[in-house]
Amino acid sequence: MLFFQSLISGILTGGVYALAAMGMSLVFGVMNISNFAHGELMMLGMYLAYYLFILFNIDPFIALLIIMPLTFGFGYAVEKTMIGRVIDHPSENQILLTVGFGLIMSNTALLAFTSDPKILTTSYSSSSISLPGDISVSIPMLLSFIITCALTAALYLFLAKTKTGMALRATSQNREAAQLMGIDVSRMSSIAFGTGTLLAASAGAMIAQTYYIDPFAGHTFLLKSFTICVLGGLGSVIGAAVGGIVIGLVEAMSSAYLSTDWKDVVVFVLFLAILLLRPRGLFGRKGEQ
Amino acid sequence: MTRTLAAIALFTAAAAVLPLFLGDNPYVADIIITMLMMASLASAWNIVGGYAGQFSFGHAAYFGAGAYTTSILLTTGNPGIPLCVAAGVAVSCVIALLTGAIVFRLRGHYFALASIAVAEIVRLTALNLDITGGAQGILVTDVSFGALDMNSKNPFYYAMLFLLVFTLCLSAWLRRTRAGFYLLAIREDQDAAASLGINLYLWKNMALLLSAALASVAGSIYAVYIRFIDTSAVLSLRLSIEIILTTIIGGIGTLWGPVLGATLLVSLAEALRSNMIGAFLVNAGAVSEGSAIGKFLNNNLAHAHVLVYGIITVLCILNLPKGILGMFRRKGSA
Amino acid sequence: MKEKLLEITSLSKHFGGNAAVSNVSFDVEEEMILGLIGPNGSGKTTLFNCITGYYPLSSGSVRFIGRDITGMKPDKACRLGMVRTWQRVKPLGSLSVLENVMIGAFAKTRSPVRSRNIALERLEMLGMGGLGPKAAGKLPIGLKKKLELARALATGPKLLLLDEICGGLNYSETQELLETIRGIRENGTAIVFIEHDMKAVTGLCDRIVVLKSGEKLAEGLPSEITSNPAVIAAYLGAGYGHA
Ligand SMILES: Nc1ncnc2c1ncn2[C@@H]1O[C@H](COP(=O)(O)OP(=O)(O)OP(=O)(O)O)[C@@H](O)[C@H]1O
Ligand SMILES: [Mg+2]
Repeated sequence: MLFFQSLISGILTGGVYALAAMGMSLVFGVMNISNFAHGELMMLGMYLAYYLFILFNIDPFIALLIIMPLTFGFGYAVEKTMIGRVIDHPSENQILLTVGFGLIMSNTALLAFTSDPKILTTSYSSSSISLPGDISVSIPMLLSFIITCALTAALYLFLAKTKTGMALRATSQNREAAQLMGIDVSRMSSIAFGTGTLLAASAGAMIAQTYYIDPFAGHTFLLKSFTICVLGGLGSVIGAAVGGIVIGLVEAMSSAYLSTDWKDVVVFVLFLAILLLRPRGLFGRKGEQ
Repeated sequence: MTRTLAAIALFTAAAAVLPLFLGDNPYVADIIITMLMMASLASAWNIVGGYAGQFSFGHAAYFGAGAYTTSILLTTGNPGIPLCVAAGVAVSCVIALLTGAIVFRLRGHYFALASIAVAEIVRLTALNLDITGGAQGILVTDVSFGALDMNSKNPFYYAMLFLLVFTLCLSAWLRRTRAGFYLLAIREDQDAAASLGINLYLWKNMALLLSAALASVAGSIYAVYIRFIDTSAVLSLRLSIEIILTTIIGGIGTLWGPVLGATLLVSLAEALRSNMIGAFLVNAGAVSEGSAIGKFLNNNLAHAHVLVYGIITVLCILNLPKGILGMFRRKGSA
Repeated sequence: MKEKLLEITSLSKHFGGNAAVSNVSFDVEEEMILGLIGPNGSGKTTLFNCITGYYPLSSGSVRFIGRDITGMKPDKACRLGMVRTWQRVKPLGSLSVLENVMIGAFAKTRSPVRSRNIALERLEMLGMGGLGPKAAGKLPIGLKKKLELARALATGPKLLLLDEICGGLNYSETQELLETIRGIRENGTAIVFIEHDMKAVTGLCDRIVVLKSGEKLAEGLPSEITSNPAVIAAYLGAGYGHA
């Protein structure tokens, strides 16, 4: 039964990882920038969910309706004022800029909220559904998985059906060609970064009941998101969705059968193995260069 | 070359007599030792990051490997500090070779990510093994070394100074050799470098190996100096990033950039930590001590140095991506 | 008969379903200048990338000075004596012109002093003597092309692969450069010369290989090529009316 329990919790956690990673992948695809502040954007979502609940008693899942537009605007503005300005710089400078931005966010949070971890507890935080065979499914995780699926579907439709979505995809395919076709690529960058921020923050808000909330909470998710993106192929949004589930499962299984202490090591070893053996990832198209 | 050597000699002489003027002030000595350490680490990073252009985001792994190896050996029957340092270098070199074998097949984003992943694997391994003391870390009690007074700051001051001067000389010399030119060529354009007969894989690994060995020595000295290490102090991603920032802010790819960067950043961190800046603002009348802002500054500036690092980094990348020294450097020479 | 320096046998390179080079064979003999021509996108640069080890081949083989070098890394090929220049120039931008050429010369010597002397000599030879201290990235495109040549020459090659080295030069500069290239051959270096300008190619080359859509369309003496109806059609068809 350990197997099925791990399977289910792996898939549920993986869903949330996937959501965060999709945001990162979208940014990478459109802007060709690795966002090292992605974890901090998740942390932002966690704190927003926490304070909306504490101050206004808004349920974290309902709060998504507020958090999403807010963080989209935030990401859009950050791209316009900061990240977008290094789009033609060497990748090292881009990485350092996002690292710096991440440091600003996490340490501002440190000043504002102190390093004491916060815990968001709703009436259903620790309730779960029991399935036959002693398997339990946490309600908040189940809810976040369902919402993640809905958001993924929405993102997919947005990219596939809307004009902006198609322009985003064209930019991601080939920035210069897109520009020649008359697409406003700098606006696409802002939209991509805004959407990436929104997805990261939503993921953060949804796991706010499951993890401790502290200024550096996003840290662990940063490397996980990268692993997922590389697994799925950097720039591939669908790849990130599948990669998220895979990593969720790998983690759950290695906790169950190896030990919790080593589960992150397993993930990073897997990450290096993918980089070496299949740098394009499962669904990737952007090459190693 | 002679001018560079003269500058290094002057710097060494000035730094060597400095303790005579500081008298017996352990607080200041501690700050300067930290500066020397960060300068050594940044200079070591500069060889692979600044000259060869390979941004390793995992240099804490080599520093940590030196620190851990030394601490472990010291607690399991002190074989003498030089042997501890040598063992640390050996361990670091092995990690560097393994890292290089993986990461140097990759470029750009992938290289940066892979170097972080390797360093995280090292950190998590140290966190989960028994021999490294797990989350508790390692406390070293016996650091005796010959007739030296290890409770004084002086041995550590001179050890770090020696390491820094050695690293500077090595960098200056390297810059004039074929190896140095090859590293610069790799930084500028890997494909062009390969077309000119440069074995990318070989030279990148050489640079990393050298850099890792130097970082490891810094780690060993640190471990003996502080006598207590844990993963968050010596293996954290934050340390790796601080090493890079020090180099970037001072001037990447220049000889003195890392030294300048370390001097600025360590002073800044100290000024914030000791609340000097808050006190200054109050004294200057910019804010009143009793006001909300004054109280806030008083309570919080001590934790703000990383925030300030972040702000400086962002401003630096956006406005002077070549660092402070890079701004003054003539194009096409160093 | 002269020794064969480079032997290319049934070389093919596919990118996904797109065959950039298919089944191309030809030889380069010692002290020969071979012209490689063909319309845009006909696979000339890709062929260079395959020969010098930047792309793995889909099939076929490359031999150089009697050795199989298929799949050999670019730096090794260079140390064997085969060096290429880049159509899309790749100056080591923040280094000086002199340092760029020195880095080429280090293929021959470890000593910075000697490499500096070789570099100065090469720069002088290409009429770039005064440019040594300038930043390579700041040169105009024509000079960047010449820098490519100087740097490649400094490695002391047996075979030079030149990819549109005259691009960006005006008529008289081109003539001057062609003269220099003849001189390089006189000194015993064989050359493969990619160029669009038919006149430059026919005047300079001993033999010409024509590529079209990745396939070898024709090979022969310049006079044979210029009178070959298939070549004329290909060039006219691709809009090269002036050819
Ligand atoms: N890395 C690559 N990936 C995919 N396709 C490629 C790649 N490099 C070249 N091609 C394709 O191979 C074909 C040949 O290109 P190549 O650059 O070799 O032509 P060329 O003869 O050098 O053209 P030009 O005269 O414009 O320089 C083109 O269709 C090009 O799109
Ligand atoms: Mg070409």
